[in-house]
Amino acid sequence: MSRRNGCRRPRTHEIIIRRARERGVTMKLNERSVAHYATCDSPPDKTGFLFKKGERNTAYHRRWFVLKGNMLFYFEERDSREPIGVIILEGCTVELCESAEEFAFAVKFDCARARVYKMAADSQAAMESWVKALSRASFDYMRLVVKELERQLEEIQEATGGGPQGRPRASKRMSKSRSSSSSSSLSTSSSSSGQKNHQDEVQLLSAGPKENGVAWSKPRPGLANGSSDGVSSCVAWEGGANGAKAPPVPPRRRGASLESPFSPGTGCFSKLHDWVKADTGEHPQGLAAKSRLHPGMFEMIITSHFS
Amino acid sequence: MRFNEKEMVHLSRQPSEMVAELGMRGPKKGDVVKRRLVKLVVNFLFYFKTDEEEPVGALLLEQCRVEKEDNLTFSVAFLEDAERKYLFECDSEEQCEKWIDSIIKASYEFMRRNLIFYRTEIHRLTGKDPLEQYGISDEARFQVTNGLQHSSRDASSM
Repeated sequence: MSRRNGCRRPRTHEIIIRRARERGVTMKLNERSVAHYATCDSPPDKTGFLFKKGERNTAYHRRWFVLKGNMLFYFEERDSREPIGVIILEGCTVELCESAEEFAFAVKFDCARARVYKMAADSQAAMESWVKALSRASFDYMRLVVKELERQLEEIQEATGGGPQGRPRASKRMSKSRSSSSSSSLSTSSSSSGQKNHQDEVQLLSAGPKENGVAWSKPRPGLANGSSDGVSSCVAWEGGANGAKAPPVPPRRRGASLESPFSPGTGCFSKLHDWVKADTGEHPQGLAAKSRLHPGMFEMIITSHFS
Repeated sequence: MRFNEKEMVHLSRQPSEMVAELGMRGPKKGDVVKRRLVKLVVNFLFYFKTDEEEPVGALLLEQCRVEKEDNLTFSVAFLEDAERKYLFECDSEEQCEKWIDSIIKASYEFMRRNLIFYRTEIHRLTGKDPLEQYGISDEARFQVTNGLQHSSRDASSM
C-alpha cells in the first residue's frame, strides 16, 4: 500500500478487521506466535515443495511446506519469512486422490462443510512420504505413542526392578489396564518381545530416502537420568547427548482412559497398528513387514485411526 | 495468515478434561478481566464467552511460558514477546496449579521430548527399539535429533 501525501495509512487494527471480514474469519488466534513456531529454530518434521490447490482460484500453486508437530505451514517461497497459512492437522484423514494432477493427495476433515485440501507432489516417493508424515502428525497420534512407550517402560521397570528377569507379571498388568481386551492383546506381544529378538522379522518402512538409518550398536550401561550419552553411536542417536534430558514422567492420570476423544475405537495403541494384522491374520511381529506401505493398506490404517 | 478456522471450531468442541470458567485478561495494556470458558484441547487453549458455541479465540501452546503469578493466577506468555502475558484467574490454588501443569504438558514438543526419553530408555534397558515392531522407527518426528531445541517451557515461581 503506497503512502501518498496527506493520506493517512489505515491503522493496523482496521486492516486486520477488514481482512478478517474478507476471509470470513471470526475466531482469534495468536497468529504471531503461530508464525513464530513455524520459523523458529526447532527442526521441522518435514519440508518440501508441493502443489496446493487454491481456495477461490482453483489452480495448483507451488508452495514451500513446513510440517512441525501437528501444524502444516505453507510459504510462498522457500525463503519467505512468514507463512501464508497453516493447516492444523487434528481430526483429519490423508488420502490419495483421483485427480488430473499426478501424485495427488488430499487432507480431509471430519466436520460439516469442511474444506478439502488438495495437494500434489513431484513424484510417487515424495507423495507417499508426505502422506505418511501428515497422517502421523496429529497431537492425538503422538499422545498415543507416548502413552504406549510410557506403559512399556513401566512394565520393563517393574520386571527388572522386582521379580525374575524378563518375566512380566501379567496379572498385575491386567489389573492396571484400562481396556481389558486391548491389554490382553498387548501383553501377548510385549511379553514375547522381551525374550525373543524380532529384529530379523521386522523390516523398516522405506518410503522415500532414508535419512535416519536406524542401526543399533551394543548398548553400553546407560546413565540413570536417561541421558543418552552412552547409548549408541549410530545415526539415529547422534547428538543424543543434548537431546535426551529426562523430562518429568507424566503422572498417571487417575481414571484417564486410553480412549482418544477423536477416535474412541483406536484408543488402544496396539490396535492402531493391528488393522493390517486383523486383515492378514498374521502375527503382530510380522506386522511391520506388512505395513510397508502401498496405497490401499495405508488408507485403511489411516482412515481407521482417524475416522 | 490463513488457518482452517472451521476445523478449529470443530476441534474446540471435542471433549476435554480441562474445562473451566476463569477470569481471563489479554496481554495489552488496558485489557480487562473477562469471564471466559477456557478449554484445553490438544495443544490449543480455546476460550469462549460463556454459553456461546463458537470460541472467541484460541492460543497455540507451543513455544510458550506458563508461570504462576500468585496463588490464584497463572500467565501464559509467548517466547517471541515474553512481556505479553495472558492472565488467568482461578477459583482456588489447586485449580491454578492443575491448569499450569496441564498447559505445560499440552505442547507437542513436550510430548516429543517424552517420547524420545522413553524410547532411549527402553532401548537402553532392553537393547531394542520399542518403535520397531510398529514400523515407525525412522519416522522423522521420533528421532533424537528432532528433540534438540533450545526453546523450552518454564514453570517458574511455583
